[in-house]
Amino acid sequence: MSARSTAFAFAVLAIALTLTQDVFPARDWYHSWQYTTIVAIAIGVMFVHAFRSWRGKAGANGKRVALALAGAIAIAIAGLLSGLIGPDTVTVVGTPGTVTPVAELGAAAFFAAADPQTIPRGDATVTLRRRGAGPLEIGPRPVPIGLSVAFTQSRPAAYVVVRNDRGDRLTITQPNSPSFLSPVILFRQSQEIHDRTFPLDTVAVPGAQRVIRILYFSQADLAAFRRDPDAPAPTGPGAVLSATDDAGGQRGITMAQSGTEVTIGGLHVTVTLGTYPVLQVAAAPQPYVLAGGLVLFLGALAWWLTGSRSGAAAAESVPA
Amino acid sequence: MLGMLVTGCYSGGGPKHSVDGGGGPAMLTGAPAVSYTIPRVGGGTDSVAAHRGSIVLLNFWATWCPPCKEEMPALESLYRSERSRGLVVLGIDQGESSATAGKFATEHGVTFPILVDADQQYASSYVSIGLPTTVIIGRDGHVVRGIDGAQTLPQFRALVGPLLAAK
Repeated sequence: MSARSTAFAFAVLAIALTLTQDVFPARDWYHSWQYTTIVAIAIGVMFVHAFRSWRGKAGANGKRVALALAGAIAIAIAGLLSGLIGPDTVTVVGTPGTVTPVAELGAAAFFAAADPQTIPRGDATVTLRRRGAGPLEIGPRPVPIGLSVAFTQSRPAAYVVVRNDRGDRLTITQPNSPSFLSPVILFRQSQEIHDRTFPLDTVAVPGAQRVIRILYFSQADLAAFRRDPDAPAPTGPGAVLSATDDAGGQRGITMAQSGTEVTIGGLHVTVTLGTYPVLQVAAAPQPYVLAGGLVLFLGALAWWLTGSRSGAAAAESVPA
Repeated sequence: MLGMLVTGCYSGGGPKHSVDGGGGPAMLTGAPAVSYTIPRVGGGTDSVAAHRGSIVLLNFWATWCPPCKEEMPALESLYRSERSRGLVVLGIDQGESSATAGKFATEHGVTFPILVDADQQYASSYVSIGLPTTVIIGRDGHVVRGIDGAQTLPQFRALVGPLLAAK
């Protein structure tokens, strides 16, 4: 393999690794020493070959090769710096209907209100509001903002309704959560069962002196637990509810299907399961640097290739 | 140079950290007031937005909450003495039925409007970390103060007096 081929192989590798940071952000390995070392070696190889090509005897063609590699080096440096000194990935968990400041973006994130219809659909939104800029709705696709990208990730959530025997609704609180008075639980805790981790959360019903623990199982989890082949297959997620009184005494345990009322601990509980977004903010290379570097890399590469061909054609046409 | 970059700048990886919403109602000072239209005990609906231009005192409470009950007489006195000066008091019951809230209001002689927020939207949006919670909204529709915990009548007067005096 020639030195030029090696340099271009490293260029393609470095560009691919850097672009990956924008397309699939917030991966731990962008900050790993292995990733950093590969990109640093690529920069070194490209720099040495670009320098030699610029100063070498290849003339205009050598300069075109050097320009192409300069574009790749710019991209690789952007990727390297993003991994080395970019901010840590931040996950912002917001209570539905609230505004949470996001210092990393200099913005406030508005987490849309949720109801028993929004949670199963999983279509609640997060909107960023920045001073001097219009509102920006963030979805699962990464959106570049300054030196970061922002995107949403769906996490298990549930809307909880509790009624007494008369059918009157009762207040729900989340004593151990920042979402103290929200009926939407975001499963901030977890429980391990047979080496697997399941989302867990707790609500209190102070008017009835009850505490209800809600353990979330996805449809796939429930299907995996099914032992009886004749039993109906699960049609959606479910939850195991266990109730205690304020003194910690057990008041019952039951399985609940999403959206179906069950009776536990003297209360009628409806848990509607689904998802609610969290906002993720991750370091990412500046898209303008990537776009500029790519234009330079591809443009100079095309220029070099057409220059090489026309040079070869001219050489062929010269009479011996 | 590359070696220095890798060994000198390498931070050991990017530990992920999480920011959880919350912080209590005090953090809302200066924020635009959130409004939801919800049922009113006795019929009809009401909202914060319907009272734009007035000083609005929101009080989030529930019938099972002892400090809320203790605070009610002070809130009722404040309403009776200051409504002629333009103070709007909205008691917003959190998560209970209209019948429950209405019965409580009748038994305790509450005459200011009681709204029923069965979905607990107001307390969630105003980041309540307990009950009762009081939120004062200025004439411009922005939050002036958010306070966690029960208040006395002198404390209520100290909160709304300067706002009512200012034109």
